[in-house]
Amino acid sequence: MNPVFAVLLPLVTAFLIPLGFIFFRKALPALVFFGASLSSLGGFFVALLGWSGISVVMGGWTPELGIALQVDALSASFLVLTSLGFPLALLSSAEWLGWNSWRFYVIFFLSWASTNGILVAGDIFNLFVFFEVFSVSAYLLVSFPASSWQAVEASFKYLVFGTLGALFLLLGISYTFMATEQLNMGILKDLFPAIPPPTLAVIGGCLLGGLLVKCGTVPAHFWLPDAHSSARPPISALLSGVLVKAPLYALLRLGMLFFLPALPKFFPLLLFFGTLSLGVGHLMAIQQEQIKRMLAYSTVAQIGTILLGIACASSLGITASLYHVFTHMSSKMGLFLVAGIFLEDRQVHKISDMRGFLRHRPFLVAAFALFAASLAGIPPLSGFQSKWLLLLACAEKGYLVPAIFLLGGTVISAAYYLKALGAFCSPAETPPPHHRTHRVTQGAVAFLVAFSLVLALLPWLPFTKEFLLTLSSGRFFP
Amino acid sequence: MILLSYGTAIIIFAIGLYTLLFRRNLFKVVIALALMEGGVLLLITSLGYIPHGVPALLPLMGQQAVNPLPQSFTLTAIVIGASDIALALAYIIKIYRHYGTVDVDQIRGLRG
Repeated sequence: MNPVFAVLLPLVTAFLIPLGFIFFRKALPALVFFGASLSSLGGFFVALLGWSGISVVMGGWTPELGIALQVDALSASFLVLTSLGFPLALLSSAEWLGWNSWRFYVIFFLSWASTNGILVAGDIFNLFVFFEVFSVSAYLLVSFPASSWQAVEASFKYLVFGTLGALFLLLGISYTFMATEQLNMGILKDLFPAIPPPTLAVIGGCLLGGLLVKCGTVPAHFWLPDAHSSARPPISALLSGVLVKAPLYALLRLGMLFFLPALPKFFPLLLFFGTLSLGVGHLMAIQQEQIKRMLAYSTVAQIGTILLGIACASSLGITASLYHVFTHMSSKMGLFLVAGIFLEDRQVHKISDMRGFLRHRPFLVAAFALFAASLAGIPPLSGFQSKWLLLLACAEKGYLVPAIFLLGGTVISAAYYLKALGAFCSPAETPPPHHRTHRVTQGAVAFLVAFSLVLALLPWLPFTKEFLLTLSSGRFFP
Repeated sequence: MILLSYGTAIIIFAIGLYTLLFRRNLFKVVIALALMEGGVLLLITSLGYIPHGVPALLPLMGQQAVNPLPQSFTLTAIVIGASDIALALAYIIKIYRHYGTVDVDQIRGLRG
């Protein structure tokens, strides 16, 4: 199966939605769900068939000129992530936003198509183009519906930072083209070691800077807590769970492909920014009064955690990072969905006012506790296992300070999740004014609980450990 | 000659970056983004230049044409940049309607 279907199916759905709204308004939900199931299945199929590696060039051109698409084990695992995360967010947002706002669904499917596009792009200019479609749709998702001033401001801030990152990315890409006259990743891989070291340092700096701004690592993290906390709950879940992983994928891909053989200095820098994000993210999260801002700062810290594994640049480190990407997706999506329901029930923003949920919504509090425990790293859960793998990877490379930060972060995150759980469990004078039951969102939370439990079981099965380690054993570009 | 073009591109980019970091007016922030984009695009277009090359238009009449690939990148990037800047200006209108100012320091959420 051609990897282009992973991009094409959501893109076609995005274009059909306005037509569906004009001509068959009654059939709009059916169209959206049909498109979403097709896109999700298409993503899974491309991931499955591309596991051992596919690479095609569109339009009958040579690889130097044409649009190259490739899928390998790394992009396939991220495709699984998008094919799971987007439908869950879609189901939940259909419940929150209803069917009158067809524009939302157009933006949503554009975002889906461009995220898949980043994952299957085989040349760096297409990577940039998909990044920009991805970013514009993400800005629009943050400020949807544009009635909240906070969301519009957050979106503007996101836009300024995102465009800054994109321009550095474009500068890096143009320097690469200047040095090699090539853009195809497979061809560039062999040309990179021949680039003179000063040029290579500039290219590495531009690409690293651009992608770090897009990820929201610490010196440029100011947009992330605003954007992730002021969007609607299912969109926050999507932003934190899935969309933030796309720049991380690009860092992993470009780092392993270009800079591992040619510029080893790239990785200590990544390690520095990862450790910084990890520390600052956790320290800021514990000071937050609002629950969604706390979760958003925790995302900053988790991005740092994932960067640590990439910076180790070993097979163990990459495996740990990939595993943590999935752990963070399942847990953080669930946390944002539960927090969204609680916020709507109580209509307050401060954590200390969100009392009395244990009586009212016991299952959701239990789910929140499970996700929080997983992210904080309580032993049998998947968060513990990914952090353990990360610690092993850091120890293997002799990175002592990041390992200590990782352990300290575990303690701090346990403290702030316990603060939230303590508020939920403490008795309230008045029962929360119950607004809506949110059956679909609760179903999504139940699915995420099951998914995190399955993730936690994964490394215990004898064959999957081997399987996890082969994910990253240098099989980039077959 | 081509070095002058590279130099101009990087100077424009640097002016844009300076404006972005040190100006507090939202319009100037957007102008800064547009300047930076212009700088990068000038750099990309200059990359395809070869001495005495003619524009890459058929028929070439046996002359050496410049590399058309960077020009097609530039076209794509212009479209992307235009959508970014249009969206930014739309947000500024929304922000101005609410706060009555485009000064970053007076807008609550944009500080820091």
